[in-house]
Amino acid sequence: MRRLLAVLLLLLLPGLGLAGPAAAHEVRPAYLEIDQTGPADYRITWKQPVMGDMAIHLAPHLSSGWLEAAPAAQYASEGFLIRTWKVHAAGHDPLAGQTVSIEGLKDTITDVFVRVRPAHGPPAETIVRPEAPSFKIAQGGAGSAGVLAFLRLGVEHILTGPDHLLFVLGLILIVRDRWTLLKTVSAFTVAHSLTLAAATLGLIALPVPLLNALIALSILFVAPEALRAQAGGTSFTIRFPWVAAFGFGLLHGMGFASGLTSLGLSGASLAPALLMFNVGVEIGQVAFIAMVLALVRGFRLMEVRWPRPATFAPAYAIGVAGASWTFQYAAVVFGLAQ
Amino acid sequence: MSRARLLALVAPPFIALWAAPGMAQAHLVATGLGPLYDGVSHFGLSPEDILPVVTLALFAGLNGPAHCRAAALALPGAWILGGIAGLSGLPWPPIAVSVASAAMLLAAGGLLASNVRAAPRLCAAAAGGLGLICGLGDVAGVAMTPAHLVSLAGMAAAAAAVFVLAASLTLPLTRLWMIVAARVAGSWMAALGLLAAGWVIRYGALAR
Repeated sequence: MRRLLAVLLLLLLPGLGLAGPAAAHEVRPAYLEIDQTGPADYRITWKQPVMGDMAIHLAPHLSSGWLEAAPAAQYASEGFLIRTWKVHAAGHDPLAGQTVSIEGLKDTITDVFVRVRPAHGPPAETIVRPEAPSFKIAQGGAGSAGVLAFLRLGVEHILTGPDHLLFVLGLILIVRDRWTLLKTVSAFTVAHSLTLAAATLGLIALPVPLLNALIALSILFVAPEALRAQAGGTSFTIRFPWVAAFGFGLLHGMGFASGLTSLGLSGASLAPALLMFNVGVEIGQVAFIAMVLALVRGFRLMEVRWPRPATFAPAYAIGVAGASWTFQYAAVVFGLAQ
Repeated sequence: MSRARLLALVAPPFIALWAAPGMAQAHLVATGLGPLYDGVSHFGLSPEDILPVVTLALFAGLNGPAHCRAAALALPGAWILGGIAGLSGLPWPPIAVSVASAAMLLAAGGLLASNVRAAPRLCAAAAGGLGLICGLGDVAGVAMTPAHLVSLAGMAAAAAAVFVLAASLTLPLTRLWMIVAARVAGSWMAALGLLAAGWVIRYGALAR
């Protein structure tokens, strides 16, 4: 019966869009930088996340039409497609009053971080969101993104990342009491906070395909442990789930960092952005755990008696998704697929 | 009253609504994260879906665990059936869908406000009716594609989850003032349903 359930889930999950590589975690924001390099010269950089040969349709526009010309350069870096334009525009503050609009943004949940660097004075930053995919540049720059924007970015980043959520769900299935759950979640939090900070600061780095494969492997690892725990078995992970949570949390933190490193933050703006992003991730994580526990409580109050195979379904679903992503990303790592 | 007379009394407004011009044309949320998330997001962004589901869940919770189980089972199944009807390409008139939607909120609010003792089958029937109407309204006029079917499954799953969460709020209620508070919430929902129905009759179908 378990095998049958596993096969069914294996067949169903890709169809549900859960196990596709793009769906695994493609919510990294895009980045638009308008850099004044001379009195009348601007360099504009557009950086859009891509995964393999897949990318959501996003195209930046300026009301002056500067970005309608062919870019001066276009190239792919690891996980990103980058386009640059060089613009010569005379006149007093030609940027002021221009409207930046992002074509295709309203059909996504991705944000676009916009930074305007004038030749003199501090840079101005803002975040353009799907619900308002355009904005007008004010005299002297874009405005201020505010640290709360990074809080929201962190919440969005975890809640729209099924890979992280499935891992956390696996941990919840493994732990047997509240105290252990608290310790496990705390270990995961500490670990991913450490590597999130280190990766964002550029102290550590892993190639994106390898990182994705390792994160997928962590999901594949917790699924059998969850099954064993539900069947009443024991193992090192079941006795000390916080150890696994800490170890794999280090990897997941580097995955979270992808949401910030693409923004190219530096200097004084980095520390508050990192802090608020991390707080946002924790809020999202706690909200997810609370929702799962509330659902469990709800089913208990409703006195639902699940058929035995159904109790194993979440762990099988986690395992199937983890296996599917592991194979897909491993194929990318070994050059067998893009 | 004979069945024929009852039918003659009830049928004309429904026939009129059916014959009203225009087709229901829903639109789905696109998150960029796949159709399942699109469906979940659609439900989360649709108060016309959330409010009656929460109201009915609170009512089922006041009635007991058996009522909750029956309704929680009927709701997602009916949601998918209603959605398949909506995706079928039939010309569902938007005003009929809107009136039915408002009527469901009114009915759910009325049930909760009155805190009537009902059989589990009634709860299941109410949840089934609600699921059919919400599922239909969510995707009426949308093309039948595998992605839209998955979105529909996402909506149904989200509805079931919200139902369970809301039902667990009133299941353990024993204190009188808490029950009264839940019933007051029901009266508010009934009033909202009445307002929505009046709005639809006066100004036409609600946008989805």
